[in-house]
Amino acid sequence: MVKPPTAANPGAVAGPRRARRFQQVDVFTARAGGGNPLAVVLDSEGLDTATMQRIAAWTDVVETTFVLPPDSPEASYRLRIFTPSRELAFAGHPSVGTAHAVLQAGWALPRPLAGGGTGLIQECGAGLLPLRITGEGVAREIAVQAPPVALLSRHGGEDAALSALLGASLAEAGGAVIDGGRRWFVAELRDEAAVRGLHPDFAGIAALVAAHDAIGLTVFARTPSRDHDLVVRALMPVAGGYEDPASGAANAALAGYLHGSGQAAGLGDRYVVSQGREVGRDARLVLHHEAGRIWVGGPCCSVVTGTLQW
Amino acid sequence: MDPTPSPTAAPPGACDFPFLQVDVFAHAPGLGNPLAVVFGAETLDTASLQAIATWLGLSETSFVLPTTQAGADYRLRIFTPRQELPFAGHPSVGTAHAVLEQGIVQPRDGRLVQECGAGLLPLRIEGEGTARNVHVRAPRGIERPADPIAVLASLGMAGSITTAAAPTRLRPALIDNGPRWWCVELADEASVRGLQPDLPAMARANRADGSTGVAVFAGCTDQPYALVVRAFVPADGIPEDPVTGSAHAAIAAWLQANAALPAACFQSSQGRELGRDGIVAISVDAEGEVWIGGRTQTVIAGRLSW
Repeated sequence: MVKPPTAANPGAVAGPRRARRFQQVDVFTARAGGGNPLAVVLDSEGLDTATMQRIAAWTDVVETTFVLPPDSPEASYRLRIFTPSRELAFAGHPSVGTAHAVLQAGWALPRPLAGGGTGLIQECGAGLLPLRITGEGVAREIAVQAPPVALLSRHGGEDAALSALLGASLAEAGGAVIDGGRRWFVAELRDEAAVRGLHPDFAGIAALVAAHDAIGLTVFARTPSRDHDLVVRALMPVAGGYEDPASGAANAALAGYLHGSGQAAGLGDRYVVSQGREVGRDARLVLHHEAGRIWVGGPCCSVVTGTLQW
Repeated sequence: MDPTPSPTAAPPGACDFPFLQVDVFAHAPGLGNPLAVVFGAETLDTASLQAIATWLGLSETSFVLPTTQAGADYRLRIFTPRQELPFAGHPSVGTAHAVLEQGIVQPRDGRLVQECGAGLLPLRIEGEGTARNVHVRAPRGIERPADPIAVLASLGMAGSITTAAAPTRLRPALIDNGPRWWCVELADEASVRGLQPDLPAMARANRADGSTGVAVFAGCTDQPYALVVRAFVPADGIPEDPVTGSAHAAIAAWLQANAALPAACFQSSQGRELGRDGIVAISVDAEGEVWIGGRTQTVIAGRLSW
């Protein structure tokens, strides 16, 4: 938490105000309002950690990133990621959205990546990480490599308690507990309508995920839709119940699990997810499986473009 | 002011609107309550305005629109992430600053008139730029009969507030000035700043009696401000609001009704417990109307593509 200013030093504001380039990006959507917001402060040289935290608390966006010149010659830029209450070493949607902002602003240019393709190298608390860029303009997609995923336990499709909680019957594979950096309970339903029609019982979800030390429940179904291959909802029992409109982490973990457990045969090495319509958004996430690893990405758009003076 | 197609990578069909994100009741950036202000969005329907406010996620987003009534300088519509409001204090103060910064209107004799869902409301303007103070006349606060026992219990003070131990303190009252605020006076500044309410219990109490939230306050001595305030709205998912215009107006109305105002014009401190440091100016005019105001800082300036 931010240390409150004291009476003797109200605000603890020092130094001249300077205009820094700023964007508020919508991540995992090509259309404003469809995805997950991210605030990006470009030109963040000279901001100390406490000031970054204060800015992230004030913008009140789920995450705010700060772009800095890289320390490593191999990196395109350095970024620091803050929620309104703390700094994160790494997170997927801020990485994808920051790369978009950096490209829009001309802050860095795409370069060839070691594994093929072109992209950017981001330096962050988790080290040097590649971001891959495909397409151009509104069709541009940016993807980040996700952490490996472990399957912890399987729960069969006939689990009556789980079916009762979801108000829908489970697909044959049923539920599972997976770990992709954080633990998720995942449950496959039989069709898209069952996933979209689900009214989450967050008290029940809280009990379920607590029993497995997980942070949330990911429900999904395969669909024959031309627009997407999977429909996903990420339900988290925080603050009385929160549904993530576009979750890079939940989708990357799910993709790693499906590929690692032989359930991805019908999906192939690239599939498209629809998420967020039930909470008024319409996100599109693209999951790539390559050499045993998952890349999660999608389109982005800049909703606010301007300057921030602090 | 006309929205124009974005020359950058905005998708087909998107329009660009001038955009400011300002900090209200703040004497420096980051110390107040943020507000997003979107200009020229008259081409968008109500559902789109609501969607923008929901996506931005701030406590309020205001849209500056052409007037529809004679005598108004501009019209604004105010949205929380969930709903449209007819009036709110911090969006009124911040939007007036924003329209002046954008040069859309000029005050006449230090006055502006805003058109909003609550009708035509006068604003008083003093000074310029970051030192500019904007004051808005608040709707009148009316006491509503209600039992304070559940709210007091959530503040850890069941039964203690009305005892003879503190004869000078005001009794708790539910004041309706649009929102309905429980106004609860505590013993001193330290009691207000150190308060740790039972928020789930408070949320239950608010739902039970239809109140918006709880505003606790105390008079201050030897400070540049005469009042300290904290405002809790747990029933609406906001544990604590950083700086709250309507809560100040409610408290001022209750102080006035009890002839307990510290002065006709004074300052109040709110938000330090959340890392902010808001200053609200409160004044009562010759007609007995309560005005709330303060400074606003422009933090983000640019365009919004939607």
